[in-house]
Amino acid sequence: MFTQFFGNYLLNENLVTPEQLIDGLQAKKNTRMKLGVLAINAGYMTAGQVETVHMKQSTMDKRFGDIAVECGFVTSEQIDELLNQQPQGYLLLGQAFVDKGYMTNAQFEDAIRTYKEKYSLTDEDLNEGEDGKSSVMVDSLIDLSSTSNPDLYKEYIILLMNNLIRFTGDDYTPLKPEFNLSDNSELYITVQGINNGFDVDTALVADEETLIQFASRYADESFTEMNEYVDASACDFMNLHNGLFTVNMSNEKELELKLTPPSTKKGINADDHGDVIVLPVQYPFGIVKFVITK
Amino acid sequence: MSMNIKDMKVLVCDDSILSRKKLKDCIIAIGCSEVYEAADGEEAVTRFKEYHPDLVFMDIVMPKKDGIAAVTEILEEDKNAKVVMASSVGTQSFLKDAIKAGAYDFLQKPLDPEQVKRIINNISSQGGN
Repeated sequence: MFTQFFGNYLLNENLVTPEQLIDGLQAKKNTRMKLGVLAINAGYMTAGQVETVHMKQSTMDKRFGDIAVECGFVTSEQIDELLNQQPQGYLLLGQAFVDKGYMTNAQFEDAIRTYKEKYSLTDEDLNEGEDGKSSVMVDSLIDLSSTSNPDLYKEYIILLMNNLIRFTGDDYTPLKPEFNLSDNSELYITVQGINNGFDVDTALVADEETLIQFASRYADESFTEMNEYVDASACDFMNLHNGLFTVNMSNEKELELKLTPPSTKKGINADDHGDVIVLPVQYPFGIVKFVITK
Repeated sequence: MSMNIKDMKVLVCDDSILSRKKLKDCIIAIGCSEVYEAADGEEAVTRFKEYHPDLVFMDIVMPKKDGIAAVTEILEEDKNAKVVMASSVGTQSFLKDAIKAGAYDFLQKPLDPEQVKRIINNISSQGGN
């Protein structure tokens, strides 16, 4: 989840614009990590040293690592270690922004440092995988203290973020939460109720084009128009995600929740839904909003 | 006595047309040729009585009649019916309800084609009703 929340952080700090974020999310999967960014992330080199090596590289036919070692910025062992690292998603996203010229190496260095400080992330946390510290990140995204059961809402949101990665891809960023739905006759809404101990309505909201793209990813098909399969994909995603939530609650909290059958319709009547938390999620193809009643 | 996989009749019950299609494709790929569908619990019972399938895959959360109620009715119709729950809600209480109702097995969604294959192979080696 670091990657997704790193995007949210860059956006909140105005380090990238929403358009640049979408562009970066799109470019991420074809981005190749450069040694300079890895060295900055590891704390082995400063952005200034990386620039120095780049300048020298333009005058001689040598590899980045060799020049950096010759200049005494890093050891060859450190270079080997960086080369053997599996690139983390949030680094790829940062590299994409640097490649596109949206951020300089220095800005990226600064952003990584403050991001890690903000969430008290150590390099070990980052290497342990993307799951750790998710609780801290959800806390930073949204204040759930006004809800009836902040712990359950938090678990719900963490699972949602992970299920989005698992079933639709990791190239999304959660945006600033909203607390109301507006009447809208054009948007599609897929609703499923949870009851028997955690009584809420959950929903997925998107415009037609975005829903088709989201459904295509979830179902691993190439839908081109709104049809019953797109409708069913949205229902299936909600049913799967909510189902996995009920399984976790049953196993971890002895809470035996039940679900109502999901359904999709066009047009939102805000009065139908009452007090809500809305979690907009930015994908390269559009924004999908996830709704849970308070 | 064993039964050929290609002679096996399978009924897929799920309110999602996408879930039915994915599971049906998977079952056909394993080698079954007669696969029927039902979109809710009521239709599941009707189709069961109509086709007497050798194996039924049953979702739980469905309109009109849920999967647990449908399994109960199907087992009343044929106590040897093989009904496998295939659902996202694998909670302790639904697992218990499914066992009590007489379900043969329980698959947690997202479905793993290997597990579907294992079940079809098991039923095939045990023979028909």
